[in-house]
Amino acid sequence: MANFKDWALQYVLTDEEPLQLEIAKKAAKEIEASNANRATVGNWAASVQPWMSRAQAGDDDQMEDGDDGGSGDIIARAKALGFLAGTLEALDKNILRADQIVFLVGFFGAMFSYDHKAGITASTKALRQLFGMKGFKPDMGVKMLEDVCKLKEDFRLQSVATRLEIYELFRSLIQDPAVSSELQHKHGSSCGFIVDLLQLCQHERDPRNLMLWFKILAILVADYSPSTEVADELFKTFSAYFPISLKSSSTPIGITADDLKEAVRSCFAAHQRVAPFAFPFLMQKLDQGDAVTVAVKLDIMRTIKACVERYEHPQASLVPYIEKIWGSLKYEVRNGEVKETIDATLDVLRAIAKKLDGSKTQKLDVALLKSYIDTVFKDCREDLANPTYTKQAGLLVMTVITANVRGYVLESAALLDCLRQNFRQPKSPSHTKDLLLILNSTLKARSGLVKNRSQGHLEDVEQLKTEPTAPLDALSHDIYLSTWAAKSSESSKENTDVLKQVLQGLALLVSQQTVQLDGETALLCSEKTCAEICTLLIQILVKGLTLSSNDNAANDASLEEEAQLALRTASSSYTPAYEEFARRAKAEIQKRDWANASSYSLDALRDLLFRLAFVGCSELPHKVVGGSAPSRSFSPLQHFITFTATLLELFPVAGSGSPAEPHERSLADSYVIGALHAGLLFFRDACIAKHSTDTLVSFSRDDTNWVQEFENLPDNWVQQLKSGEASDLRLTSIGEDDPEAYRQFLRLSLFIVRCLYRLAAAGTESQGVWSGRLLAQVANIAASIIRSLDEKLQTSCNLANEAFTFFSGGSAASSGQNASPFAELLTRGVLEGLWPGAMVELYNPGGVAETVMCHPPQLESHHLHQREIRASVALILANKYKGGASTADPESQTMKQVLCTWSDELKASAASDVDLGAFESLNMIAMHIFAGAVARQDKNVLDLVPVLKAAIASDHVGEVVSRSLGVLVKDSELHSAENHAVVRRFYKQWAYSQIAKPLYPLALPSENGPAAAARYRAAILSMVSNCAFNVYEADVETLIRLLITTLTDRGNISGQQLAAALEVLVEILANEPDALKSHLKAIIGGTVGVYEESLSKAQSSTKKDPSETSARKLVLQALAAIPKKFEERYLLSHSPRLQRVLALACGDAVREVRQAARLARGSWAKVK
Amino acid sequence: MQRDTPDNANPTILNVSQLPSRAQKRSTARVGSDSKYDSVVLSSPYWSDASSDDGQEAREEAADDALDEQEIYDLISTVSDPEHPHTLGELNVVRLPDIHLTPPRDNPRGLANVLVELTPTINHCSLATVIGLAVRVRLEQALPPNYRIDIRMKEGSHAQDDQVNKQLADKERVAAALENDTLGGVVDNMLKTCVL
Repeated sequence: MANFKDWALQYVLTDEEPLQLEIAKKAAKEIEASNANRATVGNWAASVQPWMSRAQAGDDDQMEDGDDGGSGDIIARAKALGFLAGTLEALDKNILRADQIVFLVGFFGAMFSYDHKAGITASTKALRQLFGMKGFKPDMGVKMLEDVCKLKEDFRLQSVATRLEIYELFRSLIQDPAVSSELQHKHGSSCGFIVDLLQLCQHERDPRNLMLWFKILAILVADYSPSTEVADELFKTFSAYFPISLKSSSTPIGITADDLKEAVRSCFAAHQRVAPFAFPFLMQKLDQGDAVTVAVKLDIMRTIKACVERYEHPQASLVPYIEKIWGSLKYEVRNGEVKETIDATLDVLRAIAKKLDGSKTQKLDVALLKSYIDTVFKDCREDLANPTYTKQAGLLVMTVITANVRGYVLESAALLDCLRQNFRQPKSPSHTKDLLLILNSTLKARSGLVKNRSQGHLEDVEQLKTEPTAPLDALSHDIYLSTWAAKSSESSKENTDVLKQVLQGLALLVSQQTVQLDGETALLCSEKTCAEICTLLIQILVKGLTLSSNDNAANDASLEEEAQLALRTASSSYTPAYEEFARRAKAEIQKRDWANASSYSLDALRDLLFRLAFVGCSELPHKVVGGSAPSRSFSPLQHFITFTATLLELFPVAGSGSPAEPHERSLADSYVIGALHAGLLFFRDACIAKHSTDTLVSFSRDDTNWVQEFENLPDNWVQQLKSGEASDLRLTSIGEDDPEAYRQFLRLSLFIVRCLYRLAAAGTESQGVWSGRLLAQVANIAASIIRSLDEKLQTSCNLANEAFTFFSGGSAASSGQNASPFAELLTRGVLEGLWPGAMVELYNPGGVAETVMCHPPQLESHHLHQREIRASVALILANKYKGGASTADPESQTMKQVLCTWSDELKASAASDVDLGAFESLNMIAMHIFAGAVARQDKNVLDLVPVLKAAIASDHVGEVVSRSLGVLVKDSELHSAENHAVVRRFYKQWAYSQIAKPLYPLALPSENGPAAAARYRAAILSMVSNCAFNVYEADVETLIRLLITTLTDRGNISGQQLAAALEVLVEILANEPDALKSHLKAIIGGTVGVYEESLSKAQSSTKKDPSETSARKLVLQALAAIPKKFEERYLLSHSPRLQRVLALACGDAVREVRQAARLARGSWAKVK
Repeated sequence: MQRDTPDNANPTILNVSQLPSRAQKRSTARVGSDSKYDSVVLSSPYWSDASSDDGQEAREEAADDALDEQEIYDLISTVSDPEHPHTLGELNVVRLPDIHLTPPRDNPRGLANVLVELTPTINHCSLATVIGLAVRVRLEQALPPNYRIDIRMKEGSHAQDDQVNKQLADKERVAAALENDTLGGVVDNMLKTCVL
């Protein structure tokens, strides 16, 4: 029994929380073990007696003096009470009986009366525990509240944490329904306890406590029914904090000013019983004029909006104040300048209109809404005729009218009438523009109302069904087209702005829908109106091609831009518009001879084709049933089909006649293919915008062989789909919002790729239309479509095979070798987009991949681009190689064999006297194959290191090899994740340490001879210049020595090698300049030497050598960086010489070099 | 030097897009929404083909690379006005047609002449000399030593253009002016906005 006393003592003596917790748990267990019998609980409560009695014995003076003994007592007493509270916390909530709880409530409650220093925190904790006990009765809660309120003035003296505990207790109590009803029963409607509470807590300043206090206040306002006086008191309490702000504090508390604002706002909006105080208070705050900042104004507006939205019974809580609110708010818009305030004000006005309309389930008396809109309209009518205020007045009226369907149906006719009147006598072009803006916004809002009609009251839909459509249809002639006719002849900036608004309006008008009696939607405007409007838009877009360059001189591109956006909007609802556009464009293009076109016509052709792509593909069409909408079955792909079919029909646009002007002719065709590609990309973007990328991923899968299906289709399948001769159920059965559209888009696109590939493969043999540029474009299209397909789909379509057969139906093995060099571009296009998993079949030993990589057909010429194409194909094949079990190459032999062949080739070349031109081609392919393997960190690459070393040592071929070693780690678009390349994260580090590092000892002059050492240096620098600094950071000292040797002992190294060395120097300067400190003289001397040599070379030749230019530029960049990185004492001796050199460099023949020289000169000018 | 009342309190300011620039002359890039993918779908092939159009462009570029009036305009139009927070280009003090360049003949290191005529915003501008001085300093810092620089007030643009021209042409006086700390400070401030 004496345990409790010991435990209490231990608890008081220790400062460690875990131990305290332990002790409290022991005590709780003891009580639970005794089943809370009277004696045990009594003993437990009495265990703190020693500290309590001392407190009672000590007189008040001693306590208030707060001397050492006194404060020690206080701490001990607080801890002793903490022991009791801790025990209660650990105790089973069901164990204490009601009478025991009453006793404890009395005990702890008493602390609030006489022990304000030590007892409050622990007592509050204890009371919160007691509140949670099973035996707790509501009347105890009332007593708790009363007891706590006895703290009075001393509440302010409590610590922040203690106050937080008390607020938590309050909140628990007043939220409890039983306690709440007991409180209301006891205090009646006056709710006197609230007044006590308010007095107790009125000076709170701590943000965290305030958050809780505001919650309590909101509960008191909303859930209790205080008398008017008490409600007034409550309102005064929280409104005193408005507008609330928060000082920025160094210790973050996790509460922002916005949280506090929101909390105060929820007090205002808690219940309509504070409406008589809230609205006048907020209006008065708003009407203070310039004293109110934008932030406060926004706070006020948002608070008013919250009140409007959350108060119930608007007749009583809102209607009486509307006039006053409107009176204050209208000036915020009419004379307002800050966009945020204007938007917030319009939000409030819209919220009022919505509230007055009623809820989704219950409509209010229509007179309320009508009277509100009439008030607004009456005040704005005159302003609409005044150009200074037209826009603002229009915004106000438009906002309240289009807030809901009922308001729109009631008053839109009046607004249109008023706008019409003003259109008849516009005061200025900007007045017309503003009126058009209002009209357009109204139309836009109307579309929103029709679209979201299902979310509103049933009555709304009925009202929309009976809406007269004639006045809106008439707008096109009365206002838009007549304004267009009046303004389109003159071209001035103001007129253009008006015309842009007209175009926007026309598009909105065409896309307006009306609800029919059966609930379906139809286009609002008649077929005739829609066609007329779209003809105008098409005319604007086609104009560039139909007019000559002189007639079209005043053409404004911004108007055409607006027209294409307008036509896009219009044709997504009125679908025949796009077919008409495509037809007109095709007819106009076919009228001309593109084999000998002027550059103006070619530009016009390009613009028209790309607009055709943008209008048709960048937005998916909407399904509109009935009315003047077309009867043809709807498909989200219909514009896409029209577009691609039109372009395929046009291609080749220049005909395959005599190649008089090969460049122009290929340019026209290249625009057609470019536009086709752009259309595909636009459509993909439109799908992504509509559905998320994640959704689309699952729609890029299919387990059928599309390519095989294509074999049963005619070559002009897409054209037949457009004309209606062919149909495909999969295309026509897609709904408007079905992501299946994406899969079908991919299928169609692959068909188009197949078409183009077959054309191109046939074309390259006869060399008709197909230039290298065109083939590259087609290959790009293939890459961008194929890379969007899922790996399984790529496999099931056997696309890896098609990379070599070009969809001709043969097998890769037979056709792989016969490809002409340009045709390899087509191969590259397909391979680029494939997943490694979809290519495994190519790698069977002795298969296509091995053949292509090991035995490249002899090049007819040594054109650089042919080598590059061939090398890039080899790189992709080497990179996406996958061997091992369950692949076509179970022993992983293929790649080993390829690398082995090439290392033999290198060895043989190094030993013999091969033709350097031919070797250069072979070396390039070899290096690209190695690069593909290096990115995968293929272990077989390691066997190549000695071969490479030996090859560099060769006097004959060594230079070629050393120069190209950088290819191994060069960044390439073929290594991008988008192309599904296999790139290990640290492959550059790996390649550097395995290949470049072993070359360092050889790069220093030794028995190998200076020439060999120079080649090793070039090889290292070629690799290092393609790596990030951190890759070679550890070897920077050695590298600097190599750099200096390269820069000073230039011999006859090429500009390209020098550029590589300088790039590395610039990198080191940027990242670790200190390493260069002791070599400054050599570096400055070397770089200046490089510059002067390069300059004299440039002056002696007439042709500009880009590598020389970049070497000079890099020298100057390095020189510019030096003064920023070193103290002046290291630089002073070099300054005079450099100033002279740099001054001369400012007259370099190349502009970029001059710019770099000026920068360097500026930075050295500061060294004095 | 920053006085309470500038000589011309309300100068006409040109918009940056109105200033002559090299990009304007050459830009053929399209801007509409339909041109979003131009760089992807109309780019020249990744290999460099000297025989095609690109080769021709490169040659044009080389001819275009010589130091010309536009480059000198770019150098000095970014100098700030000592009174207003605008550049000399924006205030139309420096104008492209008023820059006259006689490039060196035959020998690139031969003598070249640059004549820049400045137009003060008002004809009694008291800071014309300071502006002239700043333009001179800027050109001396940015042009190679074989360029002879001549700064003048455009005829009729300044009430005392003779005197101002004389001061700007006198090397001794220019050097002495730059020795003056206050004046040097003003010129430095004016040149802070020059980037390249």
